[in-house]
Formats: sequence, structure tokens, C-alpha cells
Amino acid sequence: MKEYAIETKDLKIYYGKKEVIKGINLRIPKNTIFAIMGPSGCGKSTLLRSFNRLLELNKDAKIEGEVLIFGKNIYGEDVDPISIRREVGMVFQYPNPFPHLTVYDNIAIGLKLNNLVKSKEEMDKRVRWALEKASLWDEVKDRLYEYPASLSGGQKQRLVIARALALKPKILLMDEPTANIDPVGTKNIEKLLFELKKDYTIVLVTHEPAQAARTSDFVGFLYLGKLIEVGPTKYIFEKPKNELTEKYLTGSLV
Amino acid sequence: MVDRFHEELKKLKEEVIQMGELAKGMLYDSIEALKEQDVELAERVISRKKRLADMDAEIEEKSLQLIALYHPMAKDMRTLGCILKVITYLNRIGRYGKDIANIAKELSDKPHIAKLVEIPYMAELVCKMIDDALKAFETEDISLIKDFSERDDSLDALRWSIFRECITYMMEDQKNITRCAYYIMIARYLERCGDHACKIAEKIHFMVTGERIEIK
Repeated sequence: MKEYAIETKDLKIYYGKKEVIKGINLRIPKNTIFAIMGPSGCGKSTLLRSFNRLLELNKDAKIEGEVLIFGKNIYGEDVDPISIRREVGMVFQYPNPFPHLTVYDNIAIGLKLNNLVKSKEEMDKRVRWALEKASLWDEVKDRLYEYPASLSGGQKQRLVIARALALKPKILLMDEPTANIDPVGTKNIEKLLFELKKDYTIVLVTHEPAQAARTSDFVGFLYLGKLIEVGPTKYIFEKPKNELTEKYLTGSLV
Repeated sequence: MVDRFHEELKKLKEEVIQMGELAKGMLYDSIEALKEQDVELAERVISRKKRLADMDAEIEEKSLQLIALYHPMAKDMRTLGCILKVITYLNRIGRYGKDIANIAKELSDKPHIAKLVEIPYMAELVCKMIDDALKAFETEDISLIKDFSERDDSLDALRWSIFRECITYMMEDQKNITRCAYYIMIARYLERCGDHACKIAEKIHFMVTGERIEIK
């Protein structure tokens, strides 16, 4: 049996009594960019947050079904959510570097807190590695001890991505990572995603179909908590099979 | 509520239909000019060539603008892709009309042989196909183009029947050669116009259904 980076089995999510994710079976292959698109309020972010157990920080949320990360059910009894979140990193819509930490410390803090690094040299190496991976090193190598306030929006977002990468996750979840970034910054981040998929599996939530079209390998269209259609990006955007997808893409979904 | 993109796209589709009417009109009138030996009408057909080329360029330009500004997807994109191909075929059809109009001028001095053999009938079939293709484009009713393959077969058959008939007239009397050679060329042009109508139909089918077909 083929192992997927993420696989959900009849996944249902409730907020109180309200069912917001209505039985989703989804498989995301390794080393791909998978975009989840759909109108506001369709459950995109909720679904994404269930992939690293971030959802359970919300006390109302209740989850049924299974989420398998590389074949292992992350909602199993013996699973530590912290280790899951290390394996499955998250990048949010608003770039949120720690404002009171320097560029260097923003990367270093996760490594320190998790006791992942032994020496100063090793720390320097890991910080540089993460910044290089996030295509930010050249821009900040002379400003490592400045605060993130001096960075542009796009640079901040790449700093956050570098912070996530420093913990060497296998999967990156991104919730509209370019929603608040200008076109140049967006282009840099999209270029970065393409680089990153060689080593990581990326799940991208977007309400902008054009971004899903530009960046992803596969797309899932989510509507009112149901997965309406999944397929290779080029087919979904040229000739979707489902009428709802067609309507969404042509802007006529009411 | 109709959004701006779809309003623009609707206008553009109307322009494509106008261009189609222009191209078909050129073909139709060129055959009329040939039949009636009407040099003035032939001249008018030839003069419409510029308008046809201008429409081709304008529609292409507007299509590219819509793509650049609105990033259309799915059926919207298929419609623009269809438009960009269809205007090329329409341009060709109109230009064959111009070519036939030029021949009509050449052949206006002496009576026709055998009432132009089956050329007028063949032209009628081609114009009906272009008509149906344009209607299918406008209404998205693809039942209008479902028998295009058979209709194209009859055009092919007519073309060869005209060819054979013309050969016999040429053998009968060598004074017929020039005139009949032109008839054979016209039959060939009309057959090509039928092929273009079939290509237009294929593009419309893809636009409407997202499924590619081949009309042989």
C-alpha cells in the first residue's frame, strides 16, 4: 500500500453541535503542493488545523474519523500533540515573527526550547541553514541581530517559514500565507514553495484560485464542509468535472 | 448581478458572431457574384477584406486583455481559447470568399458552363454549416453541430464530383479549360471552408463540454 504524507478517513469536525467538516476522505502524496481552495467559511482553515492537532486548542471542537500522517493516526491515544506539531509545521496568514526577538533568535528559540542543539556553532549552522532554505539568508545575513520590524512583509513571512523549517518538519501547512503580502513578496514565497516541495509536503489553503493554479500540483475544492472535487491542478482549472467547481472558478457560485 | 468580466465576455462573443456573419457573407456574396457575373458585387466582397482582418486583430487584442486582467478559469478560459481559434478560421473563410470574388471578376465575360456545375449547391451547404456553427457558439446548443461529420463527407463527395465533371468538359473542348480549372479551384476552396466550419465546431464542443472531439 502506498504511503501518503497525509490521509484522512471519514474525517468529521464539529464546533459544538455544528458539523463543519462533513466526512472527508483525502490523500495527499509526498513532496507535492496540495492546495485547498474554497469560499470563505467553507472549512478550509478548520481542515488544515486538524492536520497537526492545532484544532484541539479550541475547546468547542470535536473530531471524528482519522488523520494519518505518514500512515500513523495522529489522534491515537499514545500520540503527543507537541511532537506532531513539530513534524507538521504551520505558517499563518499574518506574518507573526516574535517581535521582541532578533532575526537570529526567532529561528533559534524553537531549537533551544526543544533542546535540539548542543553548541553555539551548531546553532549558527542551523540558523543559517533554515534561512537559506527559506531563501532569506542573502537578504538578512548582515542584519541577524536586528528586530523583525525592520523587515518587509514578505521577508517576515519567509522568516516565519524559516522558523518552522528549523525544527525540520516533514510537512508544512500554510494558511493563506500570502494574503497580506505584496505581489513581489508573493512571487518570492511562491518560488520558495516550489523549492521546498523537493524536501517537504506542503498543504496550502487559499481563497484565491489563481494562487492555487500557479503553485499547486493538486487541488481540492471544499464547499460547505464537503470535498467537492480533487484532482491535478491543470485539469481542475481547465475542465473541472463538477458543476460546483466550474461555478466557483467562473465566479458564478451563489 | 452580471459582473464586469462576464459582461465584457458577452460583448466579445457578440463581436465574434458579427465577424462570423461578415466572413459567411463574403463567401455567400462571392458565389452570388460568380453566378450573376456581377463584377460590382465581387468588388464589394474584396473590399470587405480589411474589415475582416481588423475584426480578427481587435477580437484577439480584447481576448488577451480579458485574460490578462481577469485571469479567467474553467469555462471562461475555454471560451476565450475557443474565440482565439475561431476568429482565425473565420478569417480564412472570409478570405476564400475574397479569392472566389477575384475569380468571379475573371469569369464575368462569358456564360458559365453547365450552370456552374454543383458549385452553388455546395456553397449553400457550406454556408448552412457556418450558420449552424455560429448559432451553436451563440446558444451553446451543440446538437446543431452533431452531424457535421456527415455534412463534411457530402462536401468532399461534391468536390470530387465537380472535379470529374469538369474533366469531361475540358476533354470535350479545350476552350473550356480555363473556366473549368477555376471551377475546380472554387470547389476546393469551398471544401476547405467546410473543414474550417468543422474545426470551429470542435472548438465550440470543447468550450461547452470541456471534452475534445475530432470531426473527421
